[in-house]
Amino acid sequence: MNRNDTMTRGAQTDQLRDEISLFITENFLYMRPDHVLRPDDDLLRLALFDSLGFIELIEEIQDRYGIEVRDIEINEENFGSVNAIVSFVAARRPT
Amino acid sequence: MCGIGGIVRTDAAAAVGEAPLRRMAAALGHRGPDGFGLATGLGAGFASTRLAIFDIPGGWQPICTERGALLVYNGEVYNHPELRAELARAGITTRSSTDTEVVLRLLERDGLRALDRLNGQFAFAWWEPRERRLTLVRDRFGVRPLYYAFTPDGSLVFASEAKGLFASGEIAPEPDLVGIDDVFTLWGARAPRSPFRDVHRLGPGSVLVWERGRVVAERTWWSPEYAPAHADEPGQDELEELIRDSVRLRLRADVPVGTYLSGGLDSSLITALARDAAERELHTFSVAFRDARFDERVHQEQVARALGTRHHVLDIAAADIADAFRDVVHHAETPLVRTAPVPLYLLARATRERGITVVATGEGADELFWGYDLFKELALRRQAEFDESALERLDGLYAYLGGSGARRGPGWRRFFAEAGAADDPLVSHQTRAAATSAVKAFYREEVAMELLADDSMERLRAELPTGLERWSELERAAYVELRTLLEPNLLAAQGDRVAMAHGVEGRYPFLDHRVFELSVRLPDHRKLDAELNDKVALREMAANVLPPGIAGRPKQPYRAPEVTPFLGGEATPEWVEEALSPHALRAAGVFDERRVAGLLRRCRSGRATGPREGMALVGILSTQVWHERFFGSAGTGHPEETGTPKVCIDMNVSPEMEVVA
Repeated sequence: MNRNDTMTRGAQTDQLRDEISLFITENFLYMRPDHVLRPDDDLLRLALFDSLGFIELIEEIQDRYGIEVRDIEINEENFGSVNAIVSFVAARRPT
Repeated sequence: MCGIGGIVRTDAAAAVGEAPLRRMAAALGHRGPDGFGLATGLGAGFASTRLAIFDIPGGWQPICTERGALLVYNGEVYNHPELRAELARAGITTRSSTDTEVVLRLLERDGLRALDRLNGQFAFAWWEPRERRLTLVRDRFGVRPLYYAFTPDGSLVFASEAKGLFASGEIAPEPDLVGIDDVFTLWGARAPRSPFRDVHRLGPGSVLVWERGRVVAERTWWSPEYAPAHADEPGQDELEELIRDSVRLRLRADVPVGTYLSGGLDSSLITALARDAAERELHTFSVAFRDARFDERVHQEQVARALGTRHHVLDIAAADIADAFRDVVHHAETPLVRTAPVPLYLLARATRERGITVVATGEGADELFWGYDLFKELALRRQAEFDESALERLDGLYAYLGGSGARRGPGWRRFFAEAGAADDPLVSHQTRAAATSAVKAFYREEVAMELLADDSMERLRAELPTGLERWSELERAAYVELRTLLEPNLLAAQGDRVAMAHGVEGRYPFLDHRVFELSVRLPDHRKLDAELNDKVALREMAANVLPPGIAGRPKQPYRAPEVTPFLGGEATPEWVEEALSPHALRAAGVFDERRVAGLLRRCRSGRATGPREGMALVGILSTQVWHERFFGSAGTGHPEETGTPKVCIDMNVSPEMEVVA
C-alpha cells in the first residue's frame, strides 16, 4: 500500500464518519439538543434509537452504501458507535 | 342515544339542585340534541340529553317506576321488542315503546341478572332511592362511554363524557401523566384510567355499585371468554345466519339508517347485508382523501354501484384535518397518536346534514376474525421457530409503519425478534408499544423521571385476567386488542366521540356478543389460515354478496395524513404555531420545547416522513390542544342548559314521572 492509497482511504473514512455522524445528528440527535455526537459515543447507552429508529438507521446504511446488512451483523460491535459503523461499512462497501 | 350524568351525595339530606345538572346537560348537549330532562332531589340528581331514535314522542328521560327506581340511559338494546313481549307475558306492562323502559323494568324484576339478556350497546345509571344505591353499567365491548369520579366526602358524580363531570362543578380537571403515558404506549388510557387524574372510566362489561357513600361492588359482568365450556364447531351457515340477524337487529330504529363504507371487506359486507335487510333505500357514507396514498374511493364506489346504495362521498383535504383537529381533541378528551378520527368526525357531520342519525359500520371484524397484521406477525414468529425463512414474510407487514417491503430486511426482522419474549402474554403488542413509544422521547426530563417507576405494559400484564393460559397465543392477542385498541381508541376517540359530536349513533353488527361467541368456536384456520389469509370465514360469506375484487381485497388500514395538515404542507395554521410554541409547551409541561423544536424543523422541511415522527407530531400537538381545552382558558366556564326540560322529576315529591313538555 503506498502513501497515496493510505491517504485516500483516510479521506474516505473521514467522509464516511462525517456522513454517518450527520445522518444520526439530523435524524435522531435533535431530540438531545445539548449533546454533541462524538465518533466513540456509545449509541446504545445514549438511547438515541428506539427500535423503529434503529430500523431507519440500518435502512439508510444499506441504501446509501449499497451493502446488505445480514441479521447476525446487527450487533454492538458493528453498530455500537459511529466509529463501529464506519469500520463495518468500510469493510463491506464495494470497492 | 344520549348523554347522561348525575350526582349522588353521601349526605342524603344534601340537595342536588338544577344548576349543576343543567350545566352537565349543556356539556353533553351534542350527544342528545333533541332535548333534555332532569331529576332533582335530596341526595341525588340526574340529567339526560336525548338523541331520539325509538319512540320519538314518548321516550324522554330520566324515567322512573312506580316504586321510584330511576334510570338514565345511553344506548340501544336491540332486542327490546322481544324482551318487552316477555315482560308482558309475565304481567309487567310498559308505558312507552322505548328500550329504556324495558331495561328499567327488567332490572327491577331481575336485578343485574337482567344484563345477560340485553343485546346492545349501552351505558346507564340505575338509582334505587330506598337503598340509596346507584349502579353504573357499561356494555360488553365498551361501545358507549361512562366516566365517574368521587368527591372528598365519597359522593359520586358520573357522566357520559369527562366534560360532563367538570361541568358539574364537583371536580376540576387535572392531567394524569400515567394516563397520558398509556396513550403513548397503546393508543389509549386503559379503563379505569383516563388521561385526567382521579377521573375513572367504567370498564367494558363492568358494573360499579355505590351505596350510601361507598363503593360496595365493582366487577365485570361480561368478559371475552376464548375457552368456553361448550365449543362445538359452527358451520358457515350458522355464522352467516347470525351475522345477518345481527345486522337486521341493528337496523331497528324509528329513523332512517345508513352505513359507513370504507371500501374494505368489513364495511362492504355490512353494507351488503344492510341493503338486503333495509326497508328503505340505504344511504352509504365514505371518506375519500385528496392524498392518493390514503384514498379508497375507487373501491367504495365499486361497492356502492354494485349494491345500488345512495352513496355520499366526503372529500378530505389536508386543510380539513387541520381545521377540525382541535374540535376532535375536545370531543375525544384525550391526546391522540393519529389523525384518523378527524375525517370520521367530518363524516359524521356530513351524515347528520343528510338527515341520517344512525349508521352501521364494520368495527370489530378485525378483532374477532383476526384481520390485523399483529395476528400474522404472531403466526410468523411461531412458524419461524421451525422454519427461519418465515421471518422474511414479516417484511410485508405493517405497511403503515413506512418503508417499502423492499427496503425492509434484517433490521425490520430484528425489530420483531427483539420485541418481546416468546412466552410473554403481551408479545403480540410489543411492536405497537415500541413504535408508539417514540413519542416519549420528547417528554420533558421531569416528566420522564416521574414516569420512571411506571410501565404501561407491566401494568397491563399484571392486570390480565386469570385463566389466560387456557387460551391460544392468537386468542390472547385478540383479547388484548379488544381491551387496548378497540375500546379506548377505535370505539371511543375514533368511534363514539366523533360520531356523537354531531348526534350520530354508530352501530356495530360484528360486536353483537353472539357473533363474538360464535367466532370463538370457529377453528383458527377459519379466521387466519396457514397461508396467512385473514378473516377466512367472512371472506367466504362476502364472496356471495360482494363484487369479487372486494371480498378478496387485502386489508388497507384506515389512515389519514399526519404531518402535512399541520407543518410542511401548503400552509401552517396560526393555531398550530401557537400550540407548539416554546411558551405553550412549557405551560402544558409534558414535552420539552427544545426537543420538539428539532422535530418541528424536520416537519417543516418535509424530512419528517417516517412513522415515528408523524406519530410524535400528532401526539405532541394533540396533547397541547387537549391541555388548552381542558386546563387553559378554553376549559373554564360551564354554561347552563337554559331551555325547558322535556322531563323534570322532583324526587322529593313523587316517584311518578312528570312530563312537562
